[in-house]
Amino acid sequence: MKNTYTLLALLVCFILTSCNKKQAINIAGSTSVLPIISVAAEEFRKTNPELNIIVNEGGSGVGVNQLGEGKLDIGMVSRDITQEEVVAYPMVNFNPISIGKDAVVPVVSSEIYNSGITSLTLEEIAKIYSGEFRNWNELGGPDKEILVIDKEASRGTRHVFMETVLGDKEAIAAGADLVLGSNNEEQTAIVQSDAAIGMLSNAWLNEDVKGLSIKMLDGTIIEPSLKNIIDNKFPITRDLLIVTNGKPTGAVKDFIEYLLSSEGQIIVEEAGYVRINQ
Amino acid sequence: MLGSTNKIGKYYVYSSTLISAFVVFLIFIILLLNSWEAISTIGLDLISLSWNPAKGEFGIISMLYGTFVVTFIALVIAIPLGTFTAIFTSEILASKYRFVVKSVLELLAGIPSIIYGLIGIAFLSIWFQDLFDLQSGRTLFTAGILLSVMILPTIITLTDDAFHNIPEKYRETAKGLGLYNSEIIKEVLMPIARADVKSAILLAFGRALGETMAVMLVVGSIDKLPSPLLNWLSPGQTVTSKLGREIAETSFRSVHFSAMIFMGLVLFSIVLFLTVLAQNSSKKTERLYE
Repeated sequence: MKNTYTLLALLVCFILTSCNKKQAINIAGSTSVLPIISVAAEEFRKTNPELNIIVNEGGSGVGVNQLGEGKLDIGMVSRDITQEEVVAYPMVNFNPISIGKDAVVPVVSSEIYNSGITSLTLEEIAKIYSGEFRNWNELGGPDKEILVIDKEASRGTRHVFMETVLGDKEAIAAGADLVLGSNNEEQTAIVQSDAAIGMLSNAWLNEDVKGLSIKMLDGTIIEPSLKNIIDNKFPITRDLLIVTNGKPTGAVKDFIEYLLSSEGQIIVEEAGYVRINQ
Repeated sequence: MLGSTNKIGKYYVYSSTLISAFVVFLIFIILLLNSWEAISTIGLDLISLSWNPAKGEFGIISMLYGTFVVTFIALVIAIPLGTFTAIFTSEILASKYRFVVKSVLELLAGIPSIIYGLIGIAFLSIWFQDLFDLQSGRTLFTAGILLSVMILPTIITLTDDAFHNIPEKYRETAKGLGLYNSEIIKEVLMPIARADVKSAILLAFGRALGETMAVMLVVGSIDKLPSPLLNWLSPGQTVTSKLGREIAETSFRSVHFSAMIFMGLVLFSIVLFLTVLAQNSSKKTERLYE
């Protein structure tokens, strides 16, 4: 009998808590946009405690697909929405809003960077990814086989990177050795290796994961600095987008307005990205 | 009164069994329906090497190969290790320690697979990278080793039970005939426990085939066959790691989605086939002590 009462009490608790359902905004997608949104969501909730904001990762492809299937209020996307994706969801009116700017930077293990390879031309990077260059000594580095790290096909960072480097956002990288997902996973793999090359969002560079400068055709070397991204000099830049289905309304609209406000844009800068409307 | 309770009990047991069987059947039907689009539009090209959704190529060979290799490595390590450990805990170890050792080993089964994955990424893959002087420690071999640890408790626990359930009279009779301990285990207990050991291995096999999270993190996730084919110290892809990484990126009901479900169907069919096979073969060696 005692057990029955306990069970009943638990059930009542459960029903009560589920009735008291808060309003929620569901967000998921690109791990490049994630650092901005997760901080912004926390800040925004300080002034709107009755609102729940649920933020998940998964990549730009996940952001677009789940928005298309109606599972999300906002999709985080760090690339353009492809024609196929628009066709796949005819009932959805994708409405992309830019909240910041970013560069996709070719990165190498610190051992390679310190050995003197601090810049490459786009053509050299293309040859590494297509498998023509297999050893760092072909590029003037140490005698080590290149560990070429690719990313999952629908990731935003990959689309932008491949578009500039190999000329097709869905190009196959024949030289790839590993295929990884999030910025986080890619960063870990590059740190763990001493001969890796990969691609990362600018905000994810650090001491162990060095961003390469790009050697342009005229011989100038362009660093992945914020200034070069602002001036549009760095060749692989992109907009960080949040996407809604049609015009945002209600709490979603308030949250987006917050992201675009000067407060929200400070979060963008603190995450290591470039604000819009310089 | 007693009769009606018996009846209710009987129907309850029947319906439970039916529901379980129905769920399996339902999963099969759902997999089949959802993969039909891929089967009908791509057909035999599903059994090819190149996977490139952008071009409409969906070849699953490299994923199947990876699954096969990873499972094979795991079983080759875990079967002898597991059975011998079980023989030790049930036949050689004093029974007051058996419980302690067994519970500790069973703890292994309770560790979430993501934890195994993180250990694999943070330590195991780095060790293998240094040990074999590899480009990257994320390989089919690493995934296989990790999996072998994960399926070990399944094999140990079930095999240990199989031995422990054999009535004492067989041991006593054998001893009375003057057999050594090693002979008793090999000639008397092993044949009796064989059917149960087989099902333990089958269960472990199923877990190895289906494990996703830990494998996904350490396998390297590249849709290529290793070259040469037996170089298992190179990155690869399994069916489950492919599904884990890519299923959320596909739009529902697209050919891409359907091709991914087809891989699930293939995996499901393999497990089904092997289960039926194992069931049939164990019919002949019915337990002697029942």
